[in-house]
Amino acid sequence: MSIKYTIDGVEVIAEDGETILSSATRAGVEIPTLCFAENTAIYGACGVCVVEVEGVPKLLRSCSAKPMEGYVVHTDTPRVIRARKTAFELLLSDHTGDCRGPCKLNCPAGTDCQKYVNEIKDGKYFEAVSTIYEAFPLPASIGRVCPHPCEDACRRQLVEEPISIAFLKAFAADKVLASGNKYKIETGADTGKRVAIIGGGPAGLTAAFKLREYGHAVTIFDQQPKMGGMLRYGIPQYRLPKEVLDEEIAIIEEAGVLMKNNVKLGKDIQFDEITKTYDAVLLAIGAWTSVPMRVPGEDLDGVIGGINFLGKLGLGETPEIGKRVAVCGGGNTAMDACRTAVRLGAEEVYVIYRRTRNEMPAADIEIEEAEEEGVIFKFLTNPIEITKDGDALNMKLQIMELGEPDASGRRSPVPVEGKTEDIKLDNVIMAIGQVANCEGVNGVELTKKGTIVADEMTFRTNIENVFAAGDVTNKGAGIAIAAIGEAAKAAFCINNYLEGAEVRYKAPYYVQDEKTEADFEDREKQDRAEMPGLSPAERKNNFKPIYFGFSEETARKEASRCLECGCHDYYDCRLIKYANWFDVEPSKFPGEVHKRDFIEIADVIEHNPNKCVLCGLCYRTCEEVAKKTFIGLYNRGFNTTINPMFSKIEAAAYCATCGKCVDACPTGAMRKKF
Amino acid sequence: MLKVVVGEGSCGLAAGAGKVHAKLDELFGASNPTGAVVTITSCIGMCFLEPIVDLYDGTELVRRLVHVTEADAEKIYAAVNANDLSLVDDITITPDDASFLEKQTRIALRNCGIINPMSIDEYIARGGYDALKKILTTGMSQDDVIEEIDKSGLKGRGGAGFSTAFKWRAAKKSEGEEKYLICNADEGDPGAFMDRAVIEGDPHNLIEGMLIGAYAIGAKEAIVYVRAEYPLAIVRLENAIKEATARGYLGDNILGSNFSCKMRIKAGAGAFVCGEETALIESLEGKRGMPRLKPPFPAQAGFWFKPSNINNVETYANVAWIIANGGDAFAAMGTEESKGTKVFALTGKIKRGGLVEIPMGKTLREVIYDIGGGIRGDKEFKAVQLGGPSGGCIPASLLDTVIDYKALGATGAIMGSGGMVVMDETTCMVGMARFFLDFTAKESCGKCVHCRIGTKRMLEILGRIVEGKGEEGDIEKLEELCMAVKDGALCGLGQTAPNPVLTTIRYFRDEMEAHITDKRCPAGECRDLITYSIDPDKCIGCSACARKCPADAISGEIKSPFVIDPDKCVKCGNCKTVCRQDAIIIK
Repeated sequence: MSIKYTIDGVEVIAEDGETILSSATRAGVEIPTLCFAENTAIYGACGVCVVEVEGVPKLLRSCSAKPMEGYVVHTDTPRVIRARKTAFELLLSDHTGDCRGPCKLNCPAGTDCQKYVNEIKDGKYFEAVSTIYEAFPLPASIGRVCPHPCEDACRRQLVEEPISIAFLKAFAADKVLASGNKYKIETGADTGKRVAIIGGGPAGLTAAFKLREYGHAVTIFDQQPKMGGMLRYGIPQYRLPKEVLDEEIAIIEEAGVLMKNNVKLGKDIQFDEITKTYDAVLLAIGAWTSVPMRVPGEDLDGVIGGINFLGKLGLGETPEIGKRVAVCGGGNTAMDACRTAVRLGAEEVYVIYRRTRNEMPAADIEIEEAEEEGVIFKFLTNPIEITKDGDALNMKLQIMELGEPDASGRRSPVPVEGKTEDIKLDNVIMAIGQVANCEGVNGVELTKKGTIVADEMTFRTNIENVFAAGDVTNKGAGIAIAAIGEAAKAAFCINNYLEGAEVRYKAPYYVQDEKTEADFEDREKQDRAEMPGLSPAERKNNFKPIYFGFSEETARKEASRCLECGCHDYYDCRLIKYANWFDVEPSKFPGEVHKRDFIEIADVIEHNPNKCVLCGLCYRTCEEVAKKTFIGLYNRGFNTTINPMFSKIEAAAYCATCGKCVDACPTGAMRKKF
Repeated sequence: MLKVVVGEGSCGLAAGAGKVHAKLDELFGASNPTGAVVTITSCIGMCFLEPIVDLYDGTELVRRLVHVTEADAEKIYAAVNANDLSLVDDITITPDDASFLEKQTRIALRNCGIINPMSIDEYIARGGYDALKKILTTGMSQDDVIEEIDKSGLKGRGGAGFSTAFKWRAAKKSEGEEKYLICNADEGDPGAFMDRAVIEGDPHNLIEGMLIGAYAIGAKEAIVYVRAEYPLAIVRLENAIKEATARGYLGDNILGSNFSCKMRIKAGAGAFVCGEETALIESLEGKRGMPRLKPPFPAQAGFWFKPSNINNVETYANVAWIIANGGDAFAAMGTEESKGTKVFALTGKIKRGGLVEIPMGKTLREVIYDIGGGIRGDKEFKAVQLGGPSGGCIPASLLDTVIDYKALGATGAIMGSGGMVVMDETTCMVGMARFFLDFTAKESCGKCVHCRIGTKRMLEILGRIVEGKGEEGDIEKLEELCMAVKDGALCGLGQTAPNPVLTTIRYFRDEMEAHITDKRCPAGECRDLITYSIDPDKCIGCSACARKCPADAISGEIKSPFVIDPDKCVKCGNCKTVCRQDAIIIK
């Protein structure tokens, strides 16, 4: 006899003997459970499937409770939610591991580095590229230029050196670009909504790509002759060949993005018009103005902005510079400028930096390569005046020393009283930073710095349908991958906005572990792959790409160094899914946390007790489904663990290595060893 | 001809009854002109007087001798032979101590300490198996039996207090030929020994009660799940099962009727949670003792998923009496809510510790002061803990609470299985809560999340409170966890584990706050929060403390006051124990 009842207002008909959980699931009402599986007997350990029934004083475990005619069941009352949350919070208080690898977590765009590195290891390059495209487009370009925060976080450093993640990305992307089977963006069903993106740099292109995936019509407006933004007009050819960038932009264009170049906001097109014409607008216009140094003489002829200097090359022009050039600044733009100056024939190229090499924000490799190319670094110097000296310029430098650490922890430079130095120059390139120029963006609220005020969770500006992301917002200029990460999230928010859903982006919660060198003591040391390239002599007088890229053999070997920190079961893990679903407070119940060794269940099956939720599915599946009794419980209370039931010798004979226990595990606590 | 009866329950044996018995055997064995008989009985409940030797003339108790030593055996031998009992006046129980028994009403314990538990004849002589005979010979139906139990109002004595008749009826109603009747003798609460006393002292009473239950529900097999830590109980029960089988009380066609039932013992392996009925069933089936989800209840799907009835030892121990005397007679005792009697194991800081059986409706004060004689050392009564790890403490202000399931439940404690631990002013209630929680946390089977991790987290908080590392908000956090564990745990163990903590918060919040805010233990028990010193006005300079100090922390010159170096002191309490001048101050 079937029974009729309602759950969250949905009418459900339960068959005779059917539980609330089973019948509700069939009716499309999701109830979380960690310990229930259809093919094993009801167990009732996890307590997260509880529901509240009107007129029943206790919460019922829906995995075992059978509905009665007319039951009014709720899964969303505060009491139910509190009970479930507490169960998850207790579980998480003794659950250690890494849902995702540190590489992914440290990537501003959240790229699943571990996944694509391992796909590269397996020779699955297309899959690797697809993995990257889950986060952002342009892998070949970004792989070449990214300062790779992923590598900074890579745990392989605890063995010797990080995995060469960025170059592996470029390797896979190049491989696929050259393969004739290029990545094709899958666009969503047409939504009828139109989005305008202003600025076709990494942020704008990424947002366009994402919005096409969502199915919206996208138009990018850009003031430059070609798309690419700073990737094209800020990064020199020897680091990023523009042919590569062109190919990757073409992939985005093929996805149906309308690209309109040579359109300057406020001149060729009015901002008000765009906001009216389009359902949503994303401002991603970047930061294109070099920060002035505020020293007398900086407006003299021969003093140029770093971005203008590099931009000319992007336009195919050759800026005229003299033999003696000083670049002021210590970031990557400064390095690009000084190395470009070398390539343009300057004989004496200085980098003027007011701190020491240790404090330089530029990537180490850039500094090294600049030195190799003959760039002279003048640390602890600060320009105080530029004067005309005949045809040439004279720059007076204040000699500095490091004082007390400032708020950021960096020791701030202080002038050494009365000590100065003069250098004779033909050109000075200012590369101490870039700021946004928001001319033409009428009515949008700006910060004191002149950047656009955009909410960090919603990317919304003060104008209803206008969003902003990348270098133009809030803190201002940063690295490309950060702008890309923001753009992807902004696209998510825009999509929500267009769908009328809540706009907010919320970073998912992940369980994270902490490791030390001691955890990897048993690992064999393997050198990080070196990137082959041109010698300083071969590269310093031309703009040829300086790197050759990894060979397939090198790439796969390099990829195989990955420690695979992130949990193998992340995508199927019910615990992390529910933890995010219920917005848990994982540190609510602090206390002793187990740190136990892995347990070999059989030759090919390994148990990680630190991730185990003791749902019992592994041993119950072994017993009830596989008809073996190979796994069991051991110990009591807080120290209960899953263990092989008999000695390991019998294990070999007993265990069918069927892997059903692994499949049954709701978290990453069971795995097959390969 | 006198009968010399040595009290040989586990408690008596532990106090030296075995040696006394051996000596008596030796003496009477050598020469026994009066033909006196030396025999045994089990625990009478007066543990504070063990070893006890009773002298009987026929069935009449003529002398009860207490704290009997091996040397006293000679005295007894002489008195018996000379027929001059004044020779044992000095070891005879005082009238005051004798009143311990007078104020009790014994049903479950009616034969304990009186009959020889190894003799079925002695049981039969006191009306044993009459109830069974009544059922099988007068044509009482299964329903009649259940009706009689229903009339008696008997509730489960294991702790939960669920109606026995209801359970029996449910098991009887369940379809199936194969049904089981199980006795839960996995008595695990710290300080509780009621069931042990019944099995050791009157095993046939248990067998008879179980047989009546088996008849009522239609079970053909009965199983007693006894904890292996009760070896003497197992021996006596095994013997009783053999005897009863030989006499036709157990086996096929009992007493010529068409009722057949066999009985066996299963020794538990020492897991507290196996006292939970579904965990007990799992254990019986040879699995790890972990609770099952209810429903289905054992009455529907129990042992081997067949209809099963599980009751506690004391519950069954009342059954034969009820059938023999009628449910109404049982129901005449007690309160509206709770009928009959209840056995308590009275322990702790009490003058007369032991086993007491009293009618429901008496007050805690009557049990503790009238029967138990009040607090040892005439210290201040602080609280009484009922129900062990599942129960709670009741403060002095509630001493007049009547013993009744509802009234005790309203205090936040529970009736429980009968553990009654009395505490005086020197007991730290936070430490007490921690003790019980430590027990449940360790005994948790680990199956459900709330019990496994929740009790652990609670224990950690209590741990830091008693170490003086408590933080503001800890009490609230404890309360939140308590409620979550109560609500979320799968079985009774977890659901009741927070009770000791909750009652401590309810009645002794000040004491807990003193630990947290002032880093002070008002009872002077928490080691990390106390210092030992010597009162110079009381110290006579005997050096006893200094000699017993394991840390060399006490120094001084003979005949002048000694001092304790607090930096060296390890707070073991040895000095306090040895000082005869009460000069050790704990603050």
